[in-house]
Amino acid sequence: MNRGLNRFAILVACATFFLIIAGALVTSNDAGLATPDWPLSNGQFFPRMVGNLFWEHGHRMVATTVGMLTIVLTIYILTKEKRQWVRRLGIFALIAVVAQGLLGGLTVKLMLPLAVSTAHATLAQLFFCTTVSLAVFTSRSWIEAPSLPPEEKATEKGSLPLRYLCTAALVTIFLQLIIGATLRHSAPWDQHLPTQLVLAHVGGALAVVVALGSAALTVLRRHRQEKFLTRPARLALVLLVVQLFLGLAAYMTRLASPNDPQPLNPMIGITVAHVACGALVFATTIMLTLRTYKVLGVLVVQDLHDYQEYQVNHVSHV
Amino acid sequence: MNKQTKVWLVLSTVLSLLALASACSKGPETNTTTNSADAGGTATAYAGATGTVSGVISFNGTPPTPKKIDTAADAVCGQKNPNLVTDDTVVNDGKLANVFVYIKEGTTTDGNKKIGDYAWSTPATAVQLDQNGCHYKPHVMGVQTNQKISIINSDATQHNIHPTPKLNQEWNQTQPNGAPPIEKSFSRAEVLIPVKCNQHPWMKAYIGVMKTPFFAVSGEDGAFQIKGVPAGTYTVVAWREGGAAGTEKTMQVTVPASGDVKADFAFGEGAATTSLTPSLKMMPALEVPVRH
Repeated sequence: MNRGLNRFAILVACATFFLIIAGALVTSNDAGLATPDWPLSNGQFFPRMVGNLFWEHGHRMVATTVGMLTIVLTIYILTKEKRQWVRRLGIFALIAVVAQGLLGGLTVKLMLPLAVSTAHATLAQLFFCTTVSLAVFTSRSWIEAPSLPPEEKATEKGSLPLRYLCTAALVTIFLQLIIGATLRHSAPWDQHLPTQLVLAHVGGALAVVVALGSAALTVLRRHRQEKFLTRPARLALVLLVVQLFLGLAAYMTRLASPNDPQPLNPMIGITVAHVACGALVFATTIMLTLRTYKVLGVLVVQDLHDYQEYQVNHVSHV
Repeated sequence: MNKQTKVWLVLSTVLSLLALASACSKGPETNTTTNSADAGGTATAYAGATGTVSGVISFNGTPPTPKKIDTAADAVCGQKNPNLVTDDTVVNDGKLANVFVYIKEGTTTDGNKKIGDYAWSTPATAVQLDQNGCHYKPHVMGVQTNQKISIINSDATQHNIHPTPKLNQEWNQTQPNGAPPIEKSFSRAEVLIPVKCNQHPWMKAYIGVMKTPFFAVSGEDGAFQIKGVPAGTYTVVAWREGGAAGTEKTMQVTVPASGDVKADFAFGEGAATTSLTPSLKMMPALEVPVRH
């Protein structure tokens, strides 16, 4: 395990989270087209940061920094990391951040068409997922995490495997993120959001509650002694509750927004917080899902045999 | 067959082919000319009697209080215009300003043709849109199709002009302080095109683009006047901003030859209005705009 690599991966994941906040501030302030050109801003590397140009160019500066950090991380992984699949993920992260930059430029050049803006927001979350995964995979707890004893793995037998529950939760959250991104970009601050999309997003929230709630509670019930699993499960549940309240507050403030003369707080702050918390829910669920695959894995015949052998030995000793 | 015979045979064949080719070509030009003249059908200018449509726009009830605008994001705006407030509803003594009044459709008395069927020349003079005190002046304006709009920046800061039409080409351009005027025009009639500044999100203006010159914007006293209207019967529309796409009121008027017809409108409490709702699309901007 390379501690330096892990710390740098964590840094990149944190920087990406900050970038998601910076991007959300652009949307909430309606600053997406504060400068019509790309990659320069009004023909300059460092324009005067007034008005909404502060948010748009600020976002570009943070994005450039994350891009640079990702390049360094990829080189770091390729030079220090021996696991081939982690190396491939590092290259994927680099491709994703470049694609994300190009999507950002494209959406400005085409004047924010809904499909491109939504794709930009969605890829942002996917890229964040990738950086979080790299941080997880390079961590000591991951590398040194032992497989759970057979008797714990055997609790999966006859029940819906936990990794399926967690994967379903992850997919549900990702779909909800897409709906949320579409909703946010479907109307500017001075117009009401389309009712159908609002309802779809509310429906998606219910689906996330069911999916993530089931997965997290199942972890807590079946493996209450395994902190490697219960910590992300508890964190996911807490973040989910916070996100639901933020979602309600975001809707209420956004409902009043067309009556305002300009984008104002608390609407800006709450909608940005809702996006950020959504990213954290996603990240925590990724961590939980990856960890269930790591320690539970697939219940193979050998595990069953080990379990039976354990039962025999344990019973005979008792 | 001797050589001379062969030469004559080849020549005859070539000439025959040429004759055949000319026989398969287009018909006589006279027919084409006639057809194109009939098919083209160019509009003619109106030369008959004209009148005037005038009136006053009132606002019933208590108008909403203008909201204070937070200009902290750009100090220049606060210095030049410290008391900047919203201007979506400007009412003086019960009279409403910034209402766009136009003749939507109708037929002339002379010739019984639709008003849109006549040719209306595009004015050579440009209409000015000024960014002054971080505020568009005028707030509502009208132009004819292809008429030049000259956009100037009178502020010591940078502005960004972004019209968001539905029928015309959308564009977005930055204009620093001291930059030359930006000259643009719209080729299709559209009522009304919202204009925003992506740098200063409180800035809004509306541009009505008309095929005909029969439009006006009510002044501070609520009054408007549309001159040179061909005598006939028309639908007059008064549009004001508000809601998703504005609010309209319509009226049928008969314009006399060399006379004036009154068309007074009222908005506000108790005044029946038609709120315009844009077509409800699930994904309103999925299509990628195509540059012409």
